Amino acid sequence: MKFALESFSKNSGRLGQLRIRDGASEQKTPLLMQTTKGGSIPWLGADVFESHVSQKPQVLEFTLSTMDQMAEALAQWNNQDRGVSDYVGFPGHQNVLLLRDPCENTPSGGNDRDVLPLFTRRGRGSLTAERYMEMVASIQPDMYQGLCDADTNAGSSNKRVQKSVDRTEKFMHYIYGEKNKVKATLLAPIVGGYNTFARTQSIKHAREQPSDSYGGYILEGFHSNGLTATALVPTQLLPIVEHCVKQLEEDKPRIIPGAYTPLTKLELIRLGMDVFDTSYAYCASYNFKALTFSFVQDGGEHVPFLDITDDAIKEEFTPIMSHCSCLTCQKHTRAYLHHLYKTNELLGPILLMVHNLHHYMSFFETIRESVAKDTLPQLIELVRNQNSSSQVDYSIAPNTKTITKASMSKGFAAAAV
Amino acid sequence: MSSSKIPPLTYKVVAECSVSKARAGLMTLRHSEVNTPVFMPVGTQGTLKGILPDQLIELNCQILLGNTYHLGLRPGIDTLKRAGGLHKFMGWPRAILTDSGGFQMVSLLQLAEIDEHGVNFRSPFDNSQCMLTPEHSIQIQNAIGADIMMQLDDVVKTTTTGPRVEEAMERTIRWVDRCIEAHARDDDQSLFPIVQGGLDVPLRERCVSALMKRQVRGFAVGGLSGGESKHDFWRMVDVCTDHLPRDKPRYLMGVGFAADLVVCVALGIDMFDCVFPTRTARFGCALVDSGQLNLKQPKYKMEMEPIDKECECSTCKRYTRSYLHHIATNESVSCSLLSIHNVAYQLRLMRTMREAIQRDEFPQFVRDFMAAHFKTDPIPIWIREALNAVKIDLPADLERKEDLKEEPTAEKKREHLVEEQLTAS
Repeated sequence: MKFALESFSKNSGRLGQLRIRDGASEQKTPLLMQTTKGGSIPWLGADVFESHVSQKPQVLEFTLSTMDQMAEALAQWNNQDRGVSDYVGFPGHQNVLLLRDPCENTPSGGNDRDVLPLFTRRGRGSLTAERYMEMVASIQPDMYQGLCDADTNAGSSNKRVQKSVDRTEKFMHYIYGEKNKVKATLLAPIVGGYNTFARTQSIKHAREQPSDSYGGYILEGFHSNGLTATALVPTQLLPIVEHCVKQLEEDKPRIIPGAYTPLTKLELIRLGMDVFDTSYAYCASYNFKALTFSFVQDGGEHVPFLDITDDAIKEEFTPIMSHCSCLTCQKHTRAYLHHLYKTNELLGPILLMVHNLHHYMSFFETIRESVAKDTLPQLIELVRNQNSSSQVDYSIAPNTKTITKASMSKGFAAAAV
Repeated sequence: MSSSKIPPLTYKVVAECSVSKARAGLMTLRHSEVNTPVFMPVGTQGTLKGILPDQLIELNCQILLGNTYHLGLRPGIDTLKRAGGLHKFMGWPRAILTDSGGFQMVSLLQLAEIDEHGVNFRSPFDNSQCMLTPEHSIQIQNAIGADIMMQLDDVVKTTTTGPRVEEAMERTIRWVDRCIEAHARDDDQSLFPIVQGGLDVPLRERCVSALMKRQVRGFAVGGLSGGESKHDFWRMVDVCTDHLPRDKPRYLMGVGFAADLVVCVALGIDMFDCVFPTRTARFGCALVDSGQLNLKQPKYKMEMEPIDKECECSTCKRYTRSYLHHIATNESVSCSLLSIHNVAYQLRLMRTMREAIQRDEFPQFVRDFMAAHFKTDPIPIWIREALNAVKIDLPADLERKEDLKEEPTAEKKREHLVEEQLTAS
């Protein structure tokens, strides 16, 4: 792995170049990894992603909780030297293996003894450090996170927070000892909830190791994944992140997974975070929200989302956004998307995800430009207020609307006269 | 009304099999050319499940089917009208065929009753009386704007016997006249009548005769994709194609499975539709020449080959059976990936048949197909008899020298049963 900083400023984020696997493409940071489920970008086959979202090399964010059953097949596949990205349809792309799916709420609990709970579709499994390293050896990702207990959030007790640090230390003790058995680059975990003392401990545990033991940091334990990350209060989150950053060396990338809002991500970038994921775009799509927030100053007021479930758009034959160049906005209308929602059709989330990923990835291009030109504060301001007089709300509420038959058209009944 | 105006449907026979009744044709519609024989995937609610219109164009799909009943409910006629029709609403630039809505009403609504006026039902939601008349079905289909529309027919269960069958056939003829009368867009849309008559040869013949007296640009054969025995099924298709005019396309509704498609092409059918390929994809099943692979089965967990090495679809170019095994029914993207493959399979099958007919090598194609499809299992008698009737002989049940790697016959029979259940609903 190679990480080189191009620029960094006190309060305006840093630009970097990250190459995770030798011979693969260099990726610019701040970087947006593609979150996946079962190895695939949610709803999008590789062909659809490449044709309609991006043909550029991506960094795929794999999650063990959605891929654990593939370990056996991947062991066999990797004997042919083809790589896990190839197995999931994206040959050549770099990848990072995480434990938990940032798109879904991770249940709490199961933190006994020396095992880590792994919540998969089939229920709760238990992962020992040994078993984890076996799976990493089978899957052979380019980069993987250290085994850690991240089951903490703003409301956790000190006891729980401390346990998460202690258990992580124990897991990592094993992993630092075994890491030479796998080729992949290790990410040192930093856990400890919102407790500055705990976080410092967790960082110390990592920095005690020889510098070449790991290639970067993964910061967890701020939320329970899923929508909980979109509801975080920045005044709580940012101080603790800043506290961590102060203790980290500059030349290692910092990865912070989760559906942080666009505004929170900007603040995290300002503090010095480098790598994020697209789980926010997933959460929006899943809850039938099209991202419409503006990141280019045009003087107009904007709103963060278009709610596809809103009956008001039933006959709006205009695209989600009039100047968006994505497939969904070029070829489809709000009315059609609303219809796909009402009929529970799979094409609905597909089209929404195409738009939301396109939008979010464009956002990150703008972020990198802003960091380069040192105009990040202006971008933060624009995203915060969207040119209105107050802050906009980027949190995502779950879509709890049920599709009732009463709202259906009368169909043939209209003729019954 | 000038004669120089191009009609909304022209059809010409491009090649005919010198042995059977198979033909290859070119149907030109307002929105697209369609090469026949053609399989029309079903996009019930204004979308094919999990497939982008662009992907369908890549697969060279020229025409798809929309269901009037579902579209009438959602998004509803008013929205469709304001959108400028279904093509614009769903962003599909090529051809569309709509059914009348009658079949869905009868099959989905247990409270439907048919009388001379139309199909009646009492809405279970608000107890209101609703009726679908021939006129109203045409009105809705005119608003949807499909290139081809179907008459409202009086459809009976294929297992029905007795005077009801004749009543339905006669009523269907009366209703086609009402449909023709109500059809307001004959310059843009073509209305097909539907041949009924159950499993009774004279009734079918009378129906074909009567319908041929009407000015229409194509014909459909209905009432034949339910639970009837295959022996009766093929005979009715054969009777219809014997009498229907040569120079107009014939559409067999609700068919289907690969073997049925091949036989019915041999019997002279040009157009087909079926939910089977897209529906079976949702259950993790992929279509191949030998039937279908249920990718959820443990044996595919470690198979690193694509579904079909010969298939050129985007799924087979990128994904292994192993990967698809793991995500089938777990990740919704698998539904898209398998649907793409299954539609590609059906379209490739039709294209291969067209090419064989054009080279006048269709009987050999049929023999090769049946061998690949049934492998070491005996070929069903009804298929032999149907092909025999159009002078295609199949070799005696084959003995292959390869290892018997395939599942025993009992399991294959169960698979076919599952297939039938999937399409019957």
